[in-house]
Amino acid sequence: MIEVEHLSKSYGSFEAVRDLSFQVGRGDVVGFLGPNGAGKTTTLRILAGFLGPSDGRVRIAGYDVREERLQARQSIGYMPEAAPLYPEMRALEYLGFRAELKGVPRRRRRREVDRALELAGALDMAEVTNANLSKGYRQRIGLADALLGSPPLLVLDEPTTGLDPNQIREVRALLRQVAAEHTILLSTHILSEVEATCDRAIVIARGELVAHGTLDEIRLARHRAARLELWVTGDRAEALRIVSAEPGVGSVSVEDAPGGVGHRLLVEVGSPPGELAERLAFALAEARIGLRRLATLGTSLEQIFSELTEQPQAVAPPEPEPADEPEREPAPDSESPEDSRP
Amino acid sequence: MRGLVPVFKRELFSLFVTPLAWVLGTAFLLLQGLHFYLIVTHFATQPELAVDAGPVETFFGQTVLLYLPLLFVCPVLTMRLFAEERRSGTIEPLLTAPVSTTGVVLGKYLAVLVTYGAMWLPTLGYMVLADRFGAVDWRVVGAGYLAVLGIGAGCLAIGTLTSALTRSQLSAAVLSSLCILGLFMFGMGEFVLDEGAARELAAYVSVWGQMNELSRGIADSRRLLLDATLVLVPLFITVRAVDAWRFE
Repeated sequence: MIEVEHLSKSYGSFEAVRDLSFQVGRGDVVGFLGPNGAGKTTTLRILAGFLGPSDGRVRIAGYDVREERLQARQSIGYMPEAAPLYPEMRALEYLGFRAELKGVPRRRRRREVDRALELAGALDMAEVTNANLSKGYRQRIGLADALLGSPPLLVLDEPTTGLDPNQIREVRALLRQVAAEHTILLSTHILSEVEATCDRAIVIARGELVAHGTLDEIRLARHRAARLELWVTGDRAEALRIVSAEPGVGSVSVEDAPGGVGHRLLVEVGSPPGELAERLAFALAEARIGLRRLATLGTSLEQIFSELTEQPQAVAPPEPEPADEPEREPAPDSESPEDSRP
Repeated sequence: MRGLVPVFKRELFSLFVTPLAWVLGTAFLLLQGLHFYLIVTHFATQPELAVDAGPVETFFGQTVLLYLPLLFVCPVLTMRLFAEERRSGTIEPLLTAPVSTTGVVLGKYLAVLVTYGAMWLPTLGYMVLADRFGAVDWRVVGAGYLAVLGIGAGCLAIGTLTSALTRSQLSAAVLSSLCILGLFMFGMGEFVLDEGAARELAAYVSVWGQMNELSRGIADSRRLLLDATLVLVPLFITVRAVDAWRFE
């Protein structure tokens, strides 16, 4: 749906986007992540056809944004950052105008506007002048605008910025609802947003791509190792022995569980736990050791995000660790496998 | 040309919903009314002074009072066209819709042109009044309005251009005022400069000369060609300018 090849954009001598390449497939819901100033808005503006690329090629639904401008724009429902609206128009008038601009035939216009307003949850504000709308409702009108004409691709620049928690939840629900029919690319610097709504993410920093893939892929590419947390009751030494004996288990540390009931085991595992977690559970159950809690402590996206985007410029390949160092078995006494990266 | 009709309608809507068009129109009518009153009074009290021109001819072609509103109205009408949209960000949804830049520029331009025409419309009443109390040559009236429209069209195109060059409405208005004033003053060179190319050029582009000729019913196709140039060249540059700050 979106093909970006070697995209660059400079403002004077400042390079906002550098040699950016990525693709978004049909039906994907992709989070476009990056700290403020990373080049997110610039990239989205180029996708939407508001700005022209300095270099490289961008295709939307197969149309080149430079050579087939109108077709490319016709395929996008774009919501700019902060959803600017004409203050003197009512929501209904504004969306009617937008529908006409987007080529929705006159007969279907009213129905299409109502449909978009309803989807965006702004029907009750249809008769209110834009200038009097709250930030949340302005954002919704912007969303409704993007939905007009049901374009195959929605590009939303920070759709939840400035909303209160209830509104954020509503917007997310809306996105999930329309995700069935639309490919969605939404930019944000809020990570929980991506976790909540997207199945893939593109992370950029300083105008360059630093990671791309499903959220799990991004996590794994950065952190092959994970940790399991077990909270067991019963004999401490026995539990430690059973857990350590299981193949695939690295170092194990034990401490008293909070509240004094049982023990908390932190197990380093070399690869994503998968069925190791089950094997541990069965083994403990067999030995009649109570298991109150079994959790995978993945690295949080926050952690990955800050690592990806705060590193000095030298390290920035899309796949942070290629397969040249496969399945490194961590030594039982190694402190933390994550730290062994150069 | 895609986008011309919706943009045209929205601009008109915006001009007439925000009180700008009404405020301007009222002020304009007051001034032109005063202007016409002065002329009629002048003719009524000193009929022997002007034998070669009646009040209508004088209204359109003999006084500088006609231009002062022109100098004020055109920049104010056009200053917001692009500058305001760029300042508020609404230009972004506008230009990311499937529209052509030419369509957007022409839509906006035609909206101010129609508004400008609408502002002149009530002055027809003066002509009707003049006709009731004396004889009015309606061909002269027609030529007068043609001149007013032709020159206004050029000024509005210049205003559209300056609005696309800056984010500040004030700068846009000042810039277009300067251009219009400059054009007017250069035309005055017709009466000042020595014989030569400069003087001929000044005579050719003279706004004053055009109003004067047309107010006497002389429609010269060269003047209309000049007006068309003053419309088309700025609009063409506007299209290039709107594309330039996005795509360069």
